[in-house]
Amino acid sequence: MSEQTSWIETRLPVAATLRAHVTGILVPRDMPYSATFAALVTGAVIFLILSGVVLSVYYDPWHAFDSIQFIIREVNFGWLIHGFHATGTTMLFGAMYLLLFRAILGREYKAPGELVWFLKLIVLLLLLLTGYLGFTLADGAQSYWSLHSSALAVSQMGGLPGSVGAWFFGGPAGPSTLARLVVLHTAIALIVVVVLAIHLAAKRAIARIPGRPVALHPYYTSQYFVAFAVFGLIFAVLVFFAPHLGESRLNLVPASGLVVPDTIVPPWYLLPETGIANTAGSAMGHMINFIAAIAVLFALPWLDLSKPGTPPKFLSRVLSYVLALDLIALAITQTAASSLLTGILSVLFTAWYFLHFLVLVPLATATESN
Amino acid sequence: MRRFVPALAALLLAAPLAHAEDTLNPPHWQSEGVFGSYDKAALQRGFLVYQTVCAACHSMNDLHYRDLTDLGLSTAQAAAIASSVKLPSGPATLDDIFKAPVVNASAFGGALPPDMSTLVAARPGGTRYIYDLLTSYQDAPSDVTLLPTHYYNTAYPGMQIAMPPPLKDNAVTYADGTKATTAQEAADAAAFLTWAAEPNLDDSKEIGLRAVLFLVFLTIIAIATKRKIWRESL
Repeated sequence: MSEQTSWIETRLPVAATLRAHVTGILVPRDMPYSATFAALVTGAVIFLILSGVVLSVYYDPWHAFDSIQFIIREVNFGWLIHGFHATGTTMLFGAMYLLLFRAILGREYKAPGELVWFLKLIVLLLLLLTGYLGFTLADGAQSYWSLHSSALAVSQMGGLPGSVGAWFFGGPAGPSTLARLVVLHTAIALIVVVVLAIHLAAKRAIARIPGRPVALHPYYTSQYFVAFAVFGLIFAVLVFFAPHLGESRLNLVPASGLVVPDTIVPPWYLLPETGIANTAGSAMGHMINFIAAIAVLFALPWLDLSKPGTPPKFLSRVLSYVLALDLIALAITQTAASSLLTGILSVLFTAWYFLHFLVLVPLATATESN
Repeated sequence: MRRFVPALAALLLAAPLAHAEDTLNPPHWQSEGVFGSYDKAALQRGFLVYQTVCAACHSMNDLHYRDLTDLGLSTAQAAAIASSVKLPSGPATLDDIFKAPVVNASAFGGALPPDMSTLVAARPGGTRYIYDLLTSYQDAPSDVTLLPTHYYNTAYPGMQIAMPPPLKDNAVTYADGTKATTAQEAADAAAFLTWAAEPNLDDSKEIGLRAVLFLVFLTIIAIATKRKIWRESL
């Protein structure tokens, strides 16, 4: 060891910290590839922050649409950074939803995993908010009217939610709205990093002590290497060959009072949540539905009546897969033009969501544990 | 080996024929598909159609004359095109935005010609929609009463459009000798507008191919590394 590193090491224990948190950690030897989802989410968030820093240098909320066209057309490799940020969001939410699905499928939320599960849900809520704010920053005809309707709905609520909404949006999609949303978009993204760090610490704290452990490095760092390579490969295919995947074409028309979409379609990662919210009639109803949908997820550790540590049996696993299909179907329904059929289907899929958590999960887990 | 020689010869013989392929029946564009790139000759022809016909009413505020070098023109050629455009401040330069037309608000029954910079990206159907729109003007059926100053167009939502039929045979004279039929002009204009909306498509596919190949090899190396580490010490 050279004098320089030891001088550093006595004042800032870099090597000791690495030993404690990376190389020296002992983990079970049967972790599947799906155990890397949380790391993929963290990697995607950091990647989005870095590409977002470059975009924010050129982004001008007062001429939002034009400044994005400037980034795409005039800034050196601006089109690539913009594509990284847009498609990176798709990759982030893909990994995030897989992370949540894995937690549900593997009953990771049961004691002592409740807090880790809560932190996952908080990350999801913060990411959904960040993602939605990023979508509104595009300032196309689709995102403008989406922002307009949500800001208007919040401001009409009155009371505390109305006041918070008025402070948050600064009025229904006026020119100063985007200026404050770009700050909130950045600030919430940085909070996500903090919550992810707390999530990691909480997960480490309850990690089971394996009988025949292996070191994290090199056994699982090599697994992370594979996971990140495949993740990067899927990302590269999408960003270079399908850059507009999931993007509304109407969002490439500049925001205008004269161009109004017939169906307001949020970005794909908000479709299931929008579907559940929209089955109610009023703005307050939308909010109550959304809160209820999140509340059942927070209550899941107690709705699941199985004994902690028992692996899920066949019926529970089938129900989890059906729930995933139900949410995908609900999302697809939201992209179709609004009609009587899509209305009925939305209500049916939403009903199944609540039926799953409030009735089927308690029943299935109670019968399985007997 | 010998078996491949006739196949190779056939391929080489077919290559010149592929150049002369009919791109109009059915209409298709070289930029389509995973590995497609822009046909620069078609883009240049499309720019001529834009400059001669479309620019009379439509702005393209996101494009500068310097961007024309992407169409395979030299800087001197682009500068010559720019200097032939008269702006209020004098001849245009390479750094000027494409000249925006002055359209009287009462023209076309009050309909506003949209800016064409992102038109292909913004419309469902994209390139093909532009081509269909430009070639689908018809006489209105007897049971349809047209709005005043509107035209019957089967490709337009609602089938009544305020834009008069912009193209006709020989509206332009192509420098490369291509026959200027209405369909040819429409296909070239659609190609040009596709480039205008997605100017980085060729770069994207070129960099993308390298990135994907690199990541495929990286994935193989990563899997091999992981297997070796787990095999050696357990």
